[in-house]
Amino acid sequence: MPDELELLEEGSELSLLETLDHVLNRGLVIAGEITISVADIDLIFLGLNVLLSSVETAHQVLNKQGKK
Amino acid sequence: MSAREPKKMSRETKSGRKPEGFYVYCIAGRESLSKVFEDALPGAIESDVALELIAQEDLAAVVSPVPLSDYGEDALQQHLTEATWTAVRAMRHEKVVEHFSRRTSVVPLRFGTIYLERARVEQMLSERGAELRAIIERLRGREEWGLNIYSDRAKLLENIATLSPSLRELSESADAATPGQSYLIRKKIDTMRASVAREETKRVAAKVERELSKIGDDVRHLRVLRDEATEHGELAAKFAFLVDRNRFDEFRSAAERVAEDYTSAGFRLELTGPWPAYNFANG
Repeated sequence: MPDELELLEEGSELSLLETLDHVLNRGLVIAGEITISVADIDLIFLGLNVLLSSVETAHQVLNKQGKK
Repeated sequence: MSAREPKKMSRETKSGRKPEGFYVYCIAGRESLSKVFEDALPGAIESDVALELIAQEDLAAVVSPVPLSDYGEDALQQHLTEATWTAVRAMRHEKVVEHFSRRTSVVPLRFGTIYLERARVEQMLSERGAELRAIIERLRGREEWGLNIYSDRAKLLENIATLSPSLRELSESADAATPGQSYLIRKKIDTMRASVAREETKRVAAKVERELSKIGDDVRHLRVLRDEATEHGELAAKFAFLVDRNRFDEFRSAAERVAEDYTSAGFRLELTGPWPAYNFANG
């Protein structure tokens, strides 16, 4: 599993989806000089839903191998 | 990134550094943030740099430099389509905001707020100062708690079939009818059950909201995403409550009480948190 996913794994105990929902969909919106449009956020979120199921699967596989 | 770089980036380019922007995580009182900065801090959104403060008057923003090769308008749009890239950065954003929100009253910003220059962050703090101070005060000493209501659809439908007299009658008449009629009656029963189930779910959600609003300072209805079915059943409703830290025990007891009331009807309640007050940061 790539290093980057470690952070996601840590989070999965606290429900990763909830966390991503908070960070990506909520919080004060301040128009920075570069910002993401709401439409983009929705698309990202759909993609993440798909990703998360695979992260969870990877997590389970790792657990079975006793690596964690 | 060459000669066609916008003029405002020339400063960084000349100094030999890669063009950078400032990623903003959250905003809070300047003094309280400075204190938090005296101790160990979590990692920034890009692992090779440290968090910084940009202060203006009595406010400050927690920021970190980000390379515009990844966070410039086009590059960012591109990266955002990569779910892993985005998820990892979103989690880092959360870790930073969480760290500060546990130690002082902060305004959490949504993921992906980036400025090209330090001066623009200062300008934002100054222009929106009054609004930001009001939010910081409103959130002081409070945390966000999520409340999810799951419904066990099978159990709920089963209950409805036994509870509703008109459905029972219909069901009896379906038993007595010819196969053709019976089919039509059963279809009607299914539609009725689904609509009664929807009403029942709404009623329970409203009741839960009423009970918990007595203790929470504020509440938001959150949208339910289609794919949020879990092992707990189908996510039927979702709320965020703003709760005073000193009243959390009371809040939790109330949630447990109301959860018990509806378990047999096929509903399950789940509390998540504490969260930085993401849902209460806008106005």
